[in-house]
Amino acid sequence: MRSLVAWRLLLHDRSSTAGVLLGVVAIVFLVGQQLSIYFGLLNYMSVLVDHSGADVWVMSSRVTNVDAGGLVSVRYWDRLVGLPEVAWVEPILIGTGLFRKPDGGFEQVRVVGVRQPRLAGGPWAFFQGDSRALLDVENITVDRLDLEKFGQPPLGSLTEINAQRVRVGAINEGARGFQGTLVFGSLEKVKEIAGTPPGRYSALLVKFAPGVDHTQALQRLQALLPNLTVMSTAELSRLTRNYYVTNTGIGGSFGFSTSVAVLVGVIIIMLTMYASVLNRERDFAVMRALGARRRDILVLVISQALIVSLLGLLVGFFLLALFLNVVRGSTIPSFMPLVVPPLHAGVTVLCSLLGSLLAVRQALKAEPASVFH
Amino acid sequence: MVASAPPVLALRNICRDFFDGRQLRRVLQSTNLNIYAGELTILAGPSGSGKTTLLSIMGTVLRPSEGRIILKGRDITDVSDEQAATLRLQEYGFVFQQPLLIEGLTTQENVLLALGIQGGRVSPECRHRSVEILTSLGLGDALHLQPRLLSGGQKQRVSIARALIKNPSLILCDEPTSSLDAENGQLVMEILKGIAVQENRVVVVVSHDARVFPFGDRLIKLENGQVVSDTRGEPVPPSES
Repeated sequence: MRSLVAWRLLLHDRSSTAGVLLGVVAIVFLVGQQLSIYFGLLNYMSVLVDHSGADVWVMSSRVTNVDAGGLVSVRYWDRLVGLPEVAWVEPILIGTGLFRKPDGGFEQVRVVGVRQPRLAGGPWAFFQGDSRALLDVENITVDRLDLEKFGQPPLGSLTEINAQRVRVGAINEGARGFQGTLVFGSLEKVKEIAGTPPGRYSALLVKFAPGVDHTQALQRLQALLPNLTVMSTAELSRLTRNYYVTNTGIGGSFGFSTSVAVLVGVIIIMLTMYASVLNRERDFAVMRALGARRRDILVLVISQALIVSLLGLLVGFFLLALFLNVVRGSTIPSFMPLVVPPLHAGVTVLCSLLGSLLAVRQALKAEPASVFH
Repeated sequence: MVASAPPVLALRNICRDFFDGRQLRRVLQSTNLNIYAGELTILAGPSGSGKTTLLSIMGTVLRPSEGRIILKGRDITDVSDEQAATLRLQEYGFVFQQPLLIEGLTTQENVLLALGIQGGRVSPECRHRSVEILTSLGLGDALHLQPRLLSGGQKQRVSIARALIKNPSLILCDEPTSSLDAENGQLVMEILKGIAVQENRVVVVVSHDARVFPFGDRLIKLENGQVVSDTRGEPVPPSES
């Protein structure tokens, strides 16, 4: 009966219900889209690491993120490839350059050199063409979403990076970097572009053989190469993300905007529910006179908050799904890990309950004696 | 006319003080009353005489500053707020000066609210009973109407139905006719009289409207917080407290 009363009161008090609903939707949508952009940017930060296909990255000592390593000698490749735990070792070379656009202008790029035929660390999804394009030493691949920045060079067109001739051999997808526009090429071409000394690479990517205990194998590699950073792909990804989140202010910025969205939502819920309870104060006093205990009033108000928050979750997640659908494949970074929506829903319900506290406090003040004049 | 049955409600040396911001003021002097089933008791008196305070104490919505309240032989003076609420749910029906129906609930839901306010499902039997009561009060066609669509008299009859649905021992009414026209006021009083006499319940009506006095079996007059006359004329010795 209390739930029915809660529902009926919500239906009757349409304007205040709409206000509370707005607060919940604001929390779900605003926080949700902030989180999706945040996670999208996190993906950008560690995109090369996450899609490398390797189990371990070997880099220069004391590395703080994947973009800030020194060069590693090829002699370590020789030592690693002979280990029984290792299935393969591939070098990767990351440098910077200036991409010459068709209109004569330039665009700064990060060039990623990968070795044929495995192309580990190279592009993993293609819009036009495929990975075979990188078998040609002159070819590069660029991301579909960066084409506009590059002046829409057609497939097969010739241009220059750092005055080195390159050909746009394929258009890849989903490989957008946080630190700069990513361009993939052959190891040889990137060496030319970056002017790297011979026998030096940015990192060595290691894949363990099937059935190998990764933890033990990693420890063995670390013991074998004490002067280098030997890190699992997952750890390097986490380290890289942490580095950018804490050093670029992006974490603080998103944390602040998310907190503001939550705060605005909670305040909207709080004020609207409070006003609604004020309007219903006499009704709560009547209920108390009829035999409602304080806990019954508490259940009634909390039920109202829960009903509205569930409705708000439905509307908010629908709008969020629309947003994610619209921005998917666009230049706006967005990604929503599966674990986030349930957590987000839980936090939203908690916010609704928090917002209802003031109303609960007011409702519990209703004195049954006040109904007698 | 002294009833042979024991009183349903007994008040012993009941006083009530209020703090008016500067000093403690006694609004109800030491009062001793026995209230019996089967009669309609009217508490009358001018504004500020303490009749509503007395009714509120009878109904456990207000605690006395001194004295004891005995309901069906049980001292309920010191029950907790929670216990008092449950007592009100089980033993009392209220009819207020204004009908005080809950907007958003239908007529029938307003009546059933009195049963389900502490949670749980309302049984089909209770739903059936609510229909019977509302129909007997001439509201059979208004079961699913919102309160705003009812007239003042209809609303007050709904509030009587809300009091009756719990099958209470006591029905306490605070100026139930003051917001009604003469015709509806008379109808409401006839209903209350019937409930008291035919259903053998305690019905206490607070009123300063002399037109309702003829419906009472017993008239208690208060002035300045004191009972100044009681047509039952039953002495209640203070030593009974």
